[in-house]
Amino acid sequence: MRISKPLLAASVLAFAAVSGAAFAQDVSREETVIFDLDRTIQDPENFNWMTPGTKRMHGAHQTMWEPLFILNYGTGELDPWLATEATSEEDGKVWTVKLREGVEWSDGEAFNADDVLFTTNLALTNDEISSREASTIKAQVASVEKVDDLTVKFTLNNPNPRFIVENFGVRIFGSFLIMPEHVWNGENAATFTFNPPIGTGPYTFTSATSNRAIWDRNDDWWGAKTGFMDLPEPKRVIFLESGGEESRAQLMVSNQLDASQNVSIGTFEAIKAQNPNVIAWYDDYPYAAADPCARQLEINTTVAPWDNANMRKAVAHIIDRNQIVNVALEGATTASRTMFAEYGSMAPFIDAVVEAGFELPAKADVDAAAALIEGEGWVKDGDYYTKDGETLSVNIHVNSASIEYTKTIDLIVEQMQRAGIDAKSVPVENGVFWGEVLPFGAYEMSYSWLSCGSVNEPWASMGRYTAKDVVPVGERSPGFNNTSRWDGPEAEAYSAIVDDIGNRALGDPEIPGLVAEAYKHLDAGTPFVPLVQSAKLLPMNTTYWTGWPTSENYYNHPFFWWNHTHQIIHNLEPAG
Amino acid sequence: MAETSMTRAEKRQLRRLKRFDNPWMNPKLIWGVGLLLGIIALGLIGRVLWDPELVFTGSAPLKLPPIGFENIRGQSGVLDHPLGTDGGGRDMLALIIIGAPNTLFVGLLASLIGMSIGIFLGFSAGFLGGRTDDTIRVLADVMITIPPLLILVVFQSAFGDVTLTLMALLIAGFVWQSPTRLIRAQVLSMKQSGYVQMAQLSGASTSHIMFNEMLPNLVPYLFGSFIANVTTSIVTAVGLEVLGLGPQRIPTLGRTIYEAINAGALIQNLWWWWGIPTLLLATMFIGLLLINLGLDEVSNPRLRKLS
Repeated sequence: MRISKPLLAASVLAFAAVSGAAFAQDVSREETVIFDLDRTIQDPENFNWMTPGTKRMHGAHQTMWEPLFILNYGTGELDPWLATEATSEEDGKVWTVKLREGVEWSDGEAFNADDVLFTTNLALTNDEISSREASTIKAQVASVEKVDDLTVKFTLNNPNPRFIVENFGVRIFGSFLIMPEHVWNGENAATFTFNPPIGTGPYTFTSATSNRAIWDRNDDWWGAKTGFMDLPEPKRVIFLESGGEESRAQLMVSNQLDASQNVSIGTFEAIKAQNPNVIAWYDDYPYAAADPCARQLEINTTVAPWDNANMRKAVAHIIDRNQIVNVALEGATTASRTMFAEYGSMAPFIDAVVEAGFELPAKADVDAAAALIEGEGWVKDGDYYTKDGETLSVNIHVNSASIEYTKTIDLIVEQMQRAGIDAKSVPVENGVFWGEVLPFGAYEMSYSWLSCGSVNEPWASMGRYTAKDVVPVGERSPGFNNTSRWDGPEAEAYSAIVDDIGNRALGDPEIPGLVAEAYKHLDAGTPFVPLVQSAKLLPMNTTYWTGWPTSENYYNHPFFWWNHTHQIIHNLEPAG
Repeated sequence: MAETSMTRAEKRQLRRLKRFDNPWMNPKLIWGVGLLLGIIALGLIGRVLWDPELVFTGSAPLKLPPIGFENIRGQSGVLDHPLGTDGGGRDMLALIIIGAPNTLFVGLLASLIGMSIGIFLGFSAGFLGGRTDDTIRVLADVMITIPPLLILVVFQSAFGDVTLTLMALLIAGFVWQSPTRLIRAQVLSMKQSGYVQMAQLSGASTSHIMFNEMLPNLVPYLFGSFIANVTTSIVTAVGLEVLGLGPQRIPTLGRTIYEAINAGALIQNLWWWWGIPTLLLATMFIGLLLINLGLDEVSNPRLRKLS
């Protein structure tokens, strides 16, 4: 005993020293906000966001890189950020963007039209960079020119009334981020690592390892100097990979995490019971916030037998959406009626599709599926269908990062098994799933939300499955568009109508009718099967910080891995 | 004459002595075998009396507690699901009826294959000697230093969804080394014994000497080694399953624990979800341990106790 006491004391001291070193520079817990990260940072030394990998959502585009505008999901308006306004001519073929005065990079250089021009030209000229945002700019912009130091003029290939919200407005996840010309100039955008990184945001990069990234406040931030906004309250922002649902929950209960990724309702209730300071979007059941990315089963249309539209339609009939809602999501969401997110502003388009008779049933119709499968020459032999001695089977790739994903696919596997298809789930790590499986078409079916995009008009979602984005398996789908590789006459007919929709102004009264017409072809082709609406239950902790986005305090949505998180951080107030 | 003069008490004493004289009838062995047979019986009888379809996801209400308990939402257990249900709507009773024998099956099969390889290689090394011995010994020594879980995790990740048999085969590749070494050592010492040399002199073939003369004398060792291997194999299999690398649609105790941990069963206080399979695994290991201790007594008479 006499020996063990000093030993114990020494080891406690050693532990304190080690853990203290990790969070050095005396920023107290009260001044730190800790966000949950749902993936490993595969390349923590690389900050070139134009190449694949975890380059943005570990805090970089939430604290360091700011967008030009932020789409406010509450008002439907664009909140100006680095830019002040954008105007269009010729029905949206030419766009003029005015930048804010006084914006500075964290190294003191001015942020101006040269940076915008430089970064846009990078995307236009470098064939190797692959991020979704860069691909979209490349597909849309014909040329860009500088009018004066704070004014940039974009000329597009085709009129696009949504150009700003699509590329610079954080409509879904990210935006086309402007990079400092004085650092990037002369570098190869496909290989440059941009380390140490700089940005215009109120935080600068401090350190990162594979499981966390630390960002510290820059008290010399331009926004505070120009009066754009006060300095945010947190002195330090940490993005920490929490692991699975259980560890997320434990970290929330013990106040070691301020905002957690999605958890199931049961887990949230358990967290709340142990830590009453934890809140979510709604005070009461179902707690979760509607996510614009409705879930779907993506089908690779190049792999037999799923290259046959009838077989894909059969799969659509087998899916029992009610069961997915009740079992996999514990009742926290609703079945999808169409491919669209059930946002109020989407109602005209959803109604048009429903009226045209393409509403998806909430229940399965296994008999209809059997008729289609047997119509293609498959015969049920024992448990499974067979044809020419081959069993009807499918591997479904699923991202293993959340139990929402794996539980849903377990259920779909079960539904297919019962209907006579030997389905198997193939769980894959988050980074591999998005980096290698989906964009290259290395799957038969997969669980994703790649028709995501539309929140107030139909084109953003529908435009993701047009025939022009088809590339062979093994090549990267541009911007994750049409990873099903859906091609052929139906796809052509669909694409023609969708292109027409894309060229029309927002609010054109003919659009709902066109949507229904295009949907007829989409239904015939079924490159993906819409499943359920997505709801994200994100526990947020008010022990150290208040001002989290909720349905009562709706300054914007709560998805803190998106580029709009600047707004969340600016809204945080110390709880003490 | 002597027998008739014995009292009843003396006769009973004699019977008991005779019974305990048979080393195979020691209580540890009986209890151990009983526990394992109990688990097998649970699987066999359970399949008849209970609906095995209930092991599939979505076949029952979610997160119901066992009878007599309440879950965090205040629902109490129902007779339809006496041991409760998990977070995916699977019946716990059905899960253990199907899952526990599956776990045992993987252990037994892996160990059986591993033992067979071990017996063959051990005898060859010990009896033939020379180059054969060197090769086998070095191979076994090298394999013993490799942590099996490390390799198996890589293997199974590459295979994706594996069947129980494939998993047993993979594990068997890592449980043949110790029996090989054990048997080789025994064979080396036995080779010098009179009866083996006599058999050699009378011209018996190598395989005859190995398997007909020497093997019967090794049976207790083999049994002991086999049981130890079953334990190792089950630990390895459960380790893989708890990492989520086992078969996906075939219920096993390890996978049930994996799913419980993954779905936050600890924080939601769904103790039956991970507790029941853990309890069964514990029972299984205690059974195996008792058998091992019992077999020790069989092969080592000094451990036997007279009551």
